[in-house]
Amino acid sequence: MGLTPTFDATDHAIVEQLRLNGRATNQQIAEELGLTATTVSSRIKRLEDSDQMRVVAVSDFSAHGFDFLMKLAISVDGRPASEVAAALAEFPEIFAVHLVTGRYDIDALVALREFDELQHLLLDKVSQVRGISSLAPSIVVDIVKYQFDVAPIEKQD
Amino acid sequence: MAQTQLDELDRQLIQVLARDARVSNRKIAGELGVTEGTVRGRIKRLQQDGLIAFTAISSFEMAERSRLAFISARVDVGKVREIAEEIGQLSLINAVLITMGEFNILAMCLFHDLDELVTTASDQILAMPGVHHVETSIAARTVKYNARMAKITRRQIEAASD
Repeated sequence: MGLTPTFDATDHAIVEQLRLNGRATNQQIAEELGLTATTVSSRIKRLEDSDQMRVVAVSDFSAHGFDFLMKLAISVDGRPASEVAAALAEFPEIFAVHLVTGRYDIDALVALREFDELQHLLLDKVSQVRGISSLAPSIVVDIVKYQFDVAPIEKQD
Repeated sequence: MAQTQLDELDRQLIQVLARDARVSNRKIAGELGVTEGTVRGRIKRLQQDGLIAFTAISSFEMAERSRLAFISARVDVGKVREIAEEIGQLSLINAVLITMGEFNILAMCLFHDLDELVTTASDQILAMPGVHHVETSIAARTVKYNARMAKITRRQIEAASD
């Protein structure tokens, strides 16, 4: 990949429009911002080609049937925390893993379809990972808000 | 949470659109072997049911606020929902979960500098009536992350039906 291009106010304005409606046509965005559809189209392409932006469908937790969410705060002992984090990231039930500052070493977010899956995840998978000294779970009883518009961008196919 | 039944076609549609939401109905129809009308109708229903929304995700490089922090709060049990809603209104906050455990609210935010984070956690959230304790931890490294999952809001559902 070449140098990361710089982005001006027009690029940011287009991204803002796409955040509101990712499937707005180039023409609709152009009219909203006083640009031509060609400009909008080429700007979007440049943003995507440089791996700085993706326009995507995000789906609700319920669309996946995830009825059970949990956060695990993990303390590590006797092994680099990054290795433990990488091992946890292998489990499909764990959808986010971060190395964090503070009392614990790793924060992981878990999504399950039903409560019964918890036993398998904790006893057969997570507890088999070497280096975990303790787990502090928080069970999510309601999601009031969950919306991220910034993420590591995966390379295009 | 409402239990919605998705069939195989819905799931395939979500998968295609999660990769690139700007692909045309015609192209999706060709890829999945259904008519354009079916694609249009399915997308509309998924949006109206609040199961999908279309948005732009920018890279950490491009974003103004690109550091992630977890803010855990211990608040009055009787006021937890009210306080969670209030935290969700703060401009820096991306996620608010009501939890059972050591803390009863877990908020997540993206921030640019530490001062912003301290203002949100220690000034704004801690000062809310009913909030007793706040603990912050910063994500120093992200190992895994899925930005395709979200809680779809009423506002997004309404925007889709315009």
